[in-house]
Amino acid sequence: MGRLRRSRAHHARRDVHRASRTRVRTKDLDQIQLIDLDPKNRANLEAQPIDFDTPGLAQHYCVECAKYYETDHALQSHWKSKVHKRRCKQLREPAYTIEEAERAAGLGRETKKV
Amino acid sequence: MRIEKCYFCSTNVYPGHGSAFVRNDAKVFRFCTSKCHKNFKMKRNPRKVRWTKAFRKAAGKEMTIDSTIDFEKRRNVPVRYDRELIQTTIKAMKRVGEVKKRREHAFWKHRMAVAREKHRAHRNKVKEAAIKKSVTLVQPTTVESPAKIKEKIKVSTKSRSALVSGEGRSMDMELD
Repeated sequence: MGRLRRSRAHHARRDVHRASRTRVRTKDLDQIQLIDLDPKNRANLEAQPIDFDTPGLAQHYCVECAKYYETDHALQSHWKSKVHKRRCKQLREPAYTIEEAERAAGLGRETKKV
Repeated sequence: MRIEKCYFCSTNVYPGHGSAFVRNDAKVFRFCTSKCHKNFKMKRNPRKVRWTKAFRKAAGKEMTIDSTIDFEKRRNVPVRYDRELIQTTIKAMKRVGEVKKRREHAFWKHRMAVAREKHRAHRNKVKEAAIKKSVTLVQPTTVESPAKIKEKIKVSTKSRSALVSGEGRSMDMELD
């Protein structure tokens, strides 16, 4: 029996598959908009305790993009970047939620009768 | 039995069909097909994907405010089985379905009429612009041209063809 093939088995989709794994899931827009952008939560996120496992000891965090930066300089330049501005624009419009999906399907919620 | 709605395209998800994703804040996202699940994983906004129900509602392509839509509701308190109630409910469902179908058709017709009017106006505008832009035709004018005098073309004997026999330069044998 010959050697089994190890190369050319993934059709160059490897990175696409890896990016869609659940363990690398990033925060959704509705989570950021409805929870993180709240002033109290925002203050907590921006002043996190030192964590040795996160990039830059979790000291330079962009709330809108849900991303840690290594240095303050990197964070500052990120705020000026197109990626950040695009994200801010997306966050300005109301987030899509499960309730909206149900409303679009014509399924309402029963309101409590007083 | 509860019929769920797909998070992405808002179609019905019957028991035993589709898949669900539970986010780490305990929100359950249900999907009718792998297509919808993949689109969710790509973090697309259903409001901007044209084939979803959310897009059609947001873009004004379907009825959003209507009394026939308000009947279907998620009820978390079960109703005790009652033969009479079930009978009237089924009868009412059929009737509501009929009314809804008719109203949807009317809505569609109105939408198409508006679109047609818009299309026509645009076409007229384009046509007018084209007419304004086009050059006016110039009438042909008669120009007096001097009468042509045909000159005789002289052909020298040397340029006679060698291929034609009897012209002196041909290569066929002279027979005595």
